[in-house]
Amino acid sequence: MKKIKNKITILIAIFMLSNSVIAQVYKADIIATGLTCSMCSNAIKKQLKTIESVDSIATDLNTNTFSVFFKKDQAIVPSILKEKVENAGFFVGSMQLDLDVSYLTSNSTQFINMNTSDLKNKKTVTIQILDKGYVTYKTYKKLEKQFAKVSSYLKQNETDFHFKIINYEK
Amino acid sequence: MKNNILIIALVLSLNTHAQELFVVTDPASNVPANSISIRLTQSAFKEKFEAGYNYHMMPELTWGMNKNLMFRTTSFISNRNGKLVTEGTSIFTKWRFYSEDDIQSHFRLAAFGRYSFNNSDIHQEQIETMGHNSGFELGFIATKLVKKLAISTSVSFEQAHDNKPNYKFPVTQGTQATNYTFSIGKLMYPKKYTNYKQTNINLMCELLGQTLNANGKSSLDIVPSVQFILNSQARIDIAYRQELLNSMFRTAPNGVYINFEYTFFSVFK
Repeated sequence: MKKIKNKITILIAIFMLSNSVIAQVYKADIIATGLTCSMCSNAIKKQLKTIESVDSIATDLNTNTFSVFFKKDQAIVPSILKEKVENAGFFVGSMQLDLDVSYLTSNSTQFINMNTSDLKNKKTVTIQILDKGYVTYKTYKKLEKQFAKVSSYLKQNETDFHFKIINYEK
Repeated sequence: MKNNILIIALVLSLNTHAQELFVVTDPASNVPANSISIRLTQSAFKEKFEAGYNYHMMPELTWGMNKNLMFRTTSFISNRNGKLVTEGTSIFTKWRFYSEDDIQSHFRLAAFGRYSFNNSDIHQEQIETMGHNSGFELGFIATKLVKKLAISTSVSFEQAHDNKPNYKFPVTQGTQATNYTFSIGKLMYPKKYTNYKQTNINLMCELLGQTLNANGKSSLDIVPSVQFILNSQARIDIAYRQELLNSMFRTAPNGVYINFEYTFFSVFK
């Protein structure tokens, strides 16, 4: 009985520990702009594959959407994804990330929430990055007006990311 | 396969065009950073004043240094004087300095330069630093892609030098030329993508013009072509070049091209 109790305690401890350690980015959905041919798309895919934390990539060639799945326990910075798409000769038209809310809260200086609703009571979220270079030029021009009073947005540091929540799970 | 042949036939009969990876001209887009591509351009042009064809072979190596800058080296091998000999080599660089991209479209501007060495005899008024003349070329390119259609245009200045060591540039001929090109390409197949292994078929048409600055003598050629992209990694071009207008002395203006190209993506991380 004692043994079982011990085991359960250890299991709970592992579970809690793993829960606190894993603040995971699961997936990035990237729409690339400026291309229609499959050779161009292949160039982007091959670039994204060079990122060590990438586990697999699914592509929709008709919409140029790249669903990038990540290995466990890896820190992902959106700028590395953007850099790879641009290396292939193209640009990011949209980038959405599926991740644990704890990933955002533990990196709150880096990730700035532009929603009126906050992250409370949410476990995983899908966010869209709103910074210049992560949306189409036309969209950026609109957002620039919308966030005219947000000084960090206008600064366009490469190191911080402004996002809005697209979807969430409690 | 049957479908493919049908489509090729249709494409050829329409005599329309392909996307951006043109046969003779370069688009303003760059090659992917850290990629290496090898290409073998082959051409057979009919001699105007003697019997037979002259065969040119141009092996090329292209390197994308970063997203905006690429380098290419080309060797010129030909049998114009009987046997196959290496006549020269060139270095080419292209810098994409402007890019405005949107969903399935872009507008891009690039500047390019080429320096070539050639030791063959100078046998025509046309200046061609790709395989005939020593000299250089400097120019600008603008390319617009809208969905499956690409349109590209360029203007350049070309200066011929002596083909050292044996052949001086004839003093009676103009050494400088202005070149202008207009290219249009369209992705014909597939209509809808299912995977990277699908063969893409592009149809293209390129117009190549040259005017000698000294005397205004000019030429204008048309190059229709069909291009197959295999496995999203290799390409085969089949093209025909035909002189449309000409007031300069040229020895072999009409002929065919068959090119093979293979790209190694992300060779360097």
